[in-house]
Amino acid sequence: MITRQFASEVRWMLRRPRTLIGLFGLILVPIIISFGIWTAGEGEGGPGLAAILQGNGMVVPIFTLFLSLNLLLPLVASIWAADGLAGEAQHGTLRGLLVAPVSRVRLLFVKLFGLAAMSLLAVTLMAVVGIIAGTAFLGTDGMVTLTGTTLSTGEGLLRIGLFILLVTFQMVSIGAVALAVSATTEHPLVVQAATMTTIIVFQVLGQFSSLDWLHPFLITTGFPGLVDVMRDPIPPDQIWSSTLLAGCYLLIGTGLAAMRLITKDS
Amino acid sequence: MTTSTSAPVTAPTKSAVAARTKGLRKEYGSTVAVDRVDLEVPEGAVLGMLGPNGSGKTTTIRMLLGLVRPTQGEIELLGKPLPDGAEHALPHVGALVEGPGFHPFLSGRENLVRCAAFEPLLPKKQIKQAVEDALERVGLAQAAHRRYRGYSLGMKQRLGLAAALLVPRKLVVLDEPTNGLDPAGTREIRKIIAELHGAGSTVLVSSHLLSEVEATCTHVAVLHRGTVVAQGELTELLQAGGSALQVITPDVETALSALRQAKISARPLGDGLRVELAGTSAPQVIETLVKAGAQVFEATRWKTGLEELFARLTEAEEAERGMSAVDTLDGGSR
Repeated sequence: MITRQFASEVRWMLRRPRTLIGLFGLILVPIIISFGIWTAGEGEGGPGLAAILQGNGMVVPIFTLFLSLNLLLPLVASIWAADGLAGEAQHGTLRGLLVAPVSRVRLLFVKLFGLAAMSLLAVTLMAVVGIIAGTAFLGTDGMVTLTGTTLSTGEGLLRIGLFILLVTFQMVSIGAVALAVSATTEHPLVVQAATMTTIIVFQVLGQFSSLDWLHPFLITTGFPGLVDVMRDPIPPDQIWSSTLLAGCYLLIGTGLAAMRLITKDS
Repeated sequence: MTTSTSAPVTAPTKSAVAARTKGLRKEYGSTVAVDRVDLEVPEGAVLGMLGPNGSGKTTTIRMLLGLVRPTQGEIELLGKPLPDGAEHALPHVGALVEGPGFHPFLSGRENLVRCAAFEPLLPKKQIKQAVEDALERVGLAQAAHRRYRGYSLGMKQRLGLAAALLVPRKLVVLDEPTNGLDPAGTREIRKIIAELHGAGSTVLVSSHLLSEVEATCTHVAVLHRGTVVAQGELTELLQAGGSALQVITPDVETALSALRQAKISARPLGDGLRVELAGTSAPQVIETLVKAGAQVFEATRWKTGLEELFARLTEAEEAERGMSAVDTLDGGSR
């Protein structure tokens, strides 16, 4: 029964015009980045990842996801979370599901599953298009790391796979918090606005060194550390702490959403 | 009243009641939406829930379906207490609440398939067939491939009904099912209700269209200002409400004061009076009138329709008289 509900949820999300448009928009990002780096030519590399992009197409997916994680991916996650509960409430379809009946806790898991499945799809799609576009525009000879070593193509793909999972997890955690907001309202836009405002405010707060004590609690603080997958060998500390932090957000978000949903009048 | 003796034998239930509420109360902030609602939906009945807008019909229905938590009171649905027993009771309940709710970007059929995926009683293999059957039943088969966005109000309503009928139900709850339907659509809804009734399902229909209820229901519950002011079998309620006399007389004032002295309630109406026969009889009324010197040209037994009963029960200006009428009705129907 639950697999059938999961399947229905994913099918429903994929049928939404805005999902398709969103996914299309997302795969444009790695293409544009590849094209941009290609036209910029030699010697224009910036700091960090951008510096090793030239002639290193396999880094494009990592760079793309890293850039998108700051704004684009949280936005997409918030849209899906908003449609999941607030949107269903707005259309009156939430009532239908509850009367079917789907228990409220199960409904939350169905929504969380849909969010996770779609996030994984979106991130993987961006990465795959990134590999293709990066290789096509910039060429590749294995993967040059931030440490300066060169990984084989197979090793490089593994790194990309790991990064996909890490980024998806961050995205789902943000989505879980957005679901908690989504459970409180009938207006999907409120959910998106609240989520995006939070992400932006977190990033602004992250800029002030006087707020050092706060930084370990902001999910956005963990984003840059994920790039460590591009070092050789991988230093695990920052990746662990970022993922752990996201895990806390996931648990808190899910918990709050469940609490709200269980007592919600609809 | 016709009891559904043709009902298929189901698991023995403790009582012959499909749904029951006791002392139901719901507050939204400082507003009391529903108060002291004791509703009984007998098994196999078609119960019409009547009430003006804002009388608490929908709130009561939402509580019956476990969508809304009551502030106070108990609910029993198909023998299971709510909200804890919702998972066991609700699969047998089909509902159309507060208008149809579907996704605009999906076609009618796709919307139903999504509903069907969440129906616990529907095996995966039967989903397709169940959806087609439901579409056929509500007359939407031709438009099933079109997007819900482009549906007319009546088509939306039909789709909502189809969702409620995806699985054979023990109880079907329809909140204002004829909203937005043309006369033909209304007739079809009546036909569907009759079919459900014939198959032994219990039906709870809320409506403010009285003719609707009168035509399809075996039982009636009248809600007013969030509370049940009358309930029982339709025929009994009408009989109890029918005890009134229309008297044609030119001497309205004289007649009124005479009746008042005799503690008989009456009010001016048209060319004469309308006299309630609660606690009195027609000969007594006429005798009183004649003794008082009022000329009686004509006295007719009032033929009460549901509309009249309803008006009497819910008219705000006549709260007092309304309440006393309710007492009489309650006494009569139990």
